[in-house]
Amino acid sequence: MITPFVIAVPAKGRLQQNAEAFFARTGLELVKPRGVRDYRGAITDLPGVEVAYLSAAEIVDLLAQGVVHFGVTGEDLVREKIADADQHVILIDGLGFGHANVVVAVPQAWIDVHSMADLDDVATAFRLKHERKMRLATKYVNLTRNFFSAHGITDYRIVESAGATEGAPAAGTAELIVDITTTGTTLAANGLRVIEDGVILRSQANLVAARAANWGAEEREIARIVLDRIASQTRARAFREVRTRFAGCDAALLAEAKERFGVETPFGGPTSSGMLTLHCPPKHVHALATRLREKGAENVVVADLGYVFSRANPLYAKLEAGLA
Amino acid sequence: MTWTSAAPDGRADALITSFERAGYVRVAPAILQPAEPFLDLSGEDIRKRMYLTTDPQGRELCLRPDLTIPVSRDYLASPAAGAPQALCYLGPVFRHRAEGAAEFLQAGIESFGRSDKAAADAEMLALGLEATAHYGLGAPDIRMGDVALFSALIAALDLAPAWKRRLIKDFNHKTSLVQDLDRLAISASHARPEYQGVLAALAGSDPDAAHALVTDLLSIAGITAVGGRSVDEIADRFLEQSALGAQISLPRETRALIEKFLAIGGDPDEAAADLRAFAREANIALDATLDLFESRTGFLAARGVDVGRIRFSTAFGRGLDYYTGFVFELYDPSAQSAGQLVAGGRYDGLLTRLGSASAISAVGFAVWIERLAQRRGTP
Repeated sequence: MITPFVIAVPAKGRLQQNAEAFFARTGLELVKPRGVRDYRGAITDLPGVEVAYLSAAEIVDLLAQGVVHFGVTGEDLVREKIADADQHVILIDGLGFGHANVVVAVPQAWIDVHSMADLDDVATAFRLKHERKMRLATKYVNLTRNFFSAHGITDYRIVESAGATEGAPAAGTAELIVDITTTGTTLAANGLRVIEDGVILRSQANLVAARAANWGAEEREIARIVLDRIASQTRARAFREVRTRFAGCDAALLAEAKERFGVETPFGGPTSSGMLTLHCPPKHVHALATRLREKGAENVVVADLGYVFSRANPLYAKLEAGLA
Repeated sequence: MTWTSAAPDGRADALITSFERAGYVRVAPAILQPAEPFLDLSGEDIRKRMYLTTDPQGRELCLRPDLTIPVSRDYLASPAAGAPQALCYLGPVFRHRAEGAAEFLQAGIESFGRSDKAAADAEMLALGLEATAHYGLGAPDIRMGDVALFSALIAALDLAPAWKRRLIKDFNHKTSLVQDLDRLAISASHARPEYQGVLAALAGSDPDAAHALVTDLLSIAGITAVGGRSVDEIADRFLEQSALGAQISLPRETRALIEKFLAIGGDPDEAAADLRAFAREANIALDATLDLFESRTGFLAARGVDVGRIRFSTAFGRGLDYYTGFVFELYDPSAQSAGQLVAGGRYDGLLTRLGSASAISAVGFAVWIERLAQRRGTP
């Protein structure tokens, strides 16, 4: 039986939309040939790949078991649900969406608590005064335990929370929480505040590979193609193409541009006629264009990049290194 | 993975019979236990080693990871609660372990309500030694500590309350407090410019004034206190921080004193002499604790224990904050890395924390049956 290469993608909500948009940008169009309600899909021009639409949590389980090859899911879930996550999966790349931080938050009224060291002291004092430990509501049991252990905090109890964790202190079911936050607005609305050094994890959606999946020659070839497209698009999005031609364009100017603007030269230095193609981070494009004209450029042409394919495939290299 | 159940062999049965002959009544607590007391008393770190489940009402249950807490809870729920009771057990406990089956046998003793603490302590070590002898190990390594000595030292020191809490907590949870003393520092609001005004305003003020100030601060900021810690607790901690003054790191002479104390060890007689000299020199009252210590050594000798073979250390603790005094562990001298064979101690605070209205003294130990049975060289 031929087992397909399986990519697991979130089945609903913003994560699904973002994941589909991400793959579409890389030229990998996810399609559902049997209708939108189907939970199995494919990629238009890449036969041999099956797309499985699953919940973000299920994706983590299947990655850990090696039932799927690639999955798109949040790093927070990976680190929470898989013990020794790096032994079981390879986090290949952050995808630039689904950003959220897992944080320790305490009531705003605790104006004497700013750091984890403060919390350590307060936790022990609380136990001695109340003859019970402080309760911490969270769904991130493992992340919390490891983080608190690293800070030497022992006088607390975890209360597992399935939802609306930020309401636990007001409801009196916990003294503090560990939860996910993007802007902190929900925490503030519930009278809570993030501890300064209490950011446990800065999470975002990741492309994750399963070590335990079947990685034969065919699977590796598909992975190489997928990662080549992702890398080419990632590179393209990180730069604008800047082209110009003028006599004063020399190696010294190039060195200065690299130093000041972080430019790269996909085709090497200026030609004998002073023709130059640069890749420049978007935030430096205007400064670079100004500088080039100061040095004598008549015209500077800047364009968005579609894809930048390189011989090197850093994402695939990361997969290979991880599987070795 | 093997799923052989942990059936007691003949020697384990004979061991428990010998405990019964010594006057201990055998008990068999439920295997399925509420998870709460274990998590509360042993700390969250035990969660990853426990087999947890949930009942239909949503209460967390576990397969018992040890028997001290189940035996203590049953005793507290019994009519005998508060009265002296001598209990023993043999049965499976359950823990996730990197090596070895998750279900394994423990035997042990729990002795409640005895006021003759020195004699009771000595009896535990003597019975623990009988347990290893029962499995052919006549002369195990004996490691011994006394948590009460460290507590008495800290209580006697002129230190801010924040420091006392911190040191006791670290002693209970770290194997190498000595190495940590250098790096110990307390988070102090002094380091924060935004709080210097508050702390200056609080310097020398009484709890009522501090309470009023914190209440004002919260109301100015438009914060309502929610749950958990009261305004008083927050005010008290500000007062403490204000009084902490320059003690953000441990004062040099205090650190030196603690280091000197933690270096004391040897056989119990040597150690007692050293501790008396230490207390005299530092002008610290350790008399009551040392009297109990020496009395215990006397009872050990009277029970025929070769006291000279005991390796006592002031720095030895068992990593659990419910121990309050005497603690000990027995090891196979030729297989230290296999872990302790017998371990236990005094936990006078445990029954209160399990809900007893009055303090009940308690001491006991557990025997790792498989480790003893699998010792190399035993038949």
